[in-house]
Amino acid sequence: MTDKSENFEALMKLSLSGDKRAYAVLLQETARFLRPFLARRINSSSEVDDLLQEILISIHKARHTYDGERPYKPWAYAIAKFRLQDHLRAHYADHLHHAVGLSEVENDLQAPVTKSDITYESISGEIEKLPPKQAAILQMMHQEGYTAKEVADKIGMKESAVKVAAHRAYKILRKILER
Amino acid sequence: MVNIEELVESLARDAAPVKPAPHPFMLSLRWVAGAVVYLVASLWISGLRPDLMQKLDEPWFVAELASLVLIFIATSLSAAVLVFPDLHQMRKAAWAPVGLFAIFVIVLFFSWRADVPPAPLPMHSFECTVSITLFALLPAAWTFFSMRQFASTHSRWAGSVALLFAFSVGALWLLLHELNNSIIHVIQWHYLPMLGIGLVGWWLGRRFLKW
Repeated sequence: MTDKSENFEALMKLSLSGDKRAYAVLLQETARFLRPFLARRINSSSEVDDLLQEILISIHKARHTYDGERPYKPWAYAIAKFRLQDHLRAHYADHLHHAVGLSEVENDLQAPVTKSDITYESISGEIEKLPPKQAAILQMMHQEGYTAKEVADKIGMKESAVKVAAHRAYKILRKILER
Repeated sequence: MVNIEELVESLARDAAPVKPAPHPFMLSLRWVAGAVVYLVASLWISGLRPDLMQKLDEPWFVAELASLVLIFIATSLSAAVLVFPDLHQMRKAAWAPVGLFAIFVIVLFFSWRADVPPAPLPMHSFECTVSITLFALLPAAWTFFSMRQFASTHSRWAGSVALLFAFSVGALWLLLHELNNSIIHVIQWHYLPMLGIGLVGWWLGRRFLKW
């Protein structure tokens, strides 16, 4: 970074007076210091890119609330955190919306979860692609013949949590096998 | 979506000269001045309480009036700070109303202790809350409209403080207008409803100050 680009306050003053070049440099440098901040909080790089663009647009919309007299970075970070919180709130709300309710799986929980028409060996390749905990639960229940309660005792989970994890794994497997 | 470089280029093309927002002190001063004009005009029309000069000799009445005026000023300053994404880097100013509300509660407590024998309760009750709320509608709408032109990252908090500011204008008006000496009544129907108003502002802020 050059000395000029580091002086965000001066760049913003020029930008507010209509200097397009200064504004472009300011936004580029802002994107540069915000990217690692977002990357530490969001896993997917495409989401980081989308959020970064949203933040730059927000900075553009709110630029009249910055006068160039106080430090620039806290102002930019405040907007970034605000948009990040919005993003995370929407993200988790979406997850919650798609989550399987316990009442929804109650009927399945009544059924013996160790019985299945498909053998473990025939789909072991697919099971290995599951999240490690789900894969381990299915392996113990279907290959090693443990009951859900025994699996729960062995891996320190509640029995109901083991059944829910198994149910979720079945759903994923069913989707894969139906393709 | 486009890539970052394209977006930066497109935003930079829109970089026309922009007038920076006024300092929070100036913004707060505008709101206070507007509210004072509204208050004076309303008192001109509705009239001052007939015993006002006599009441101004009572220390706890003066303390109540002074602390309410300070809340009025502190909430306007806090609201003005809260419309800036970074709180104009004056976080303490945003919290100013908390200390003043604490002082106000202490003043009311001592006023209540000093009210011996207790002044008779007036015949009316919730009408006071309704009057204050109706009186506060105009300053509330004006403040919210003004705040929407900025970029608050604390929309709930800002909404809450903005409504408390408007409500304090209404509370000042009734304190100076109504012939009423009952501290119990004043606490119950003038000031306790402020808690509810704060919650309404919390909800309205989320709806109307989001950008």
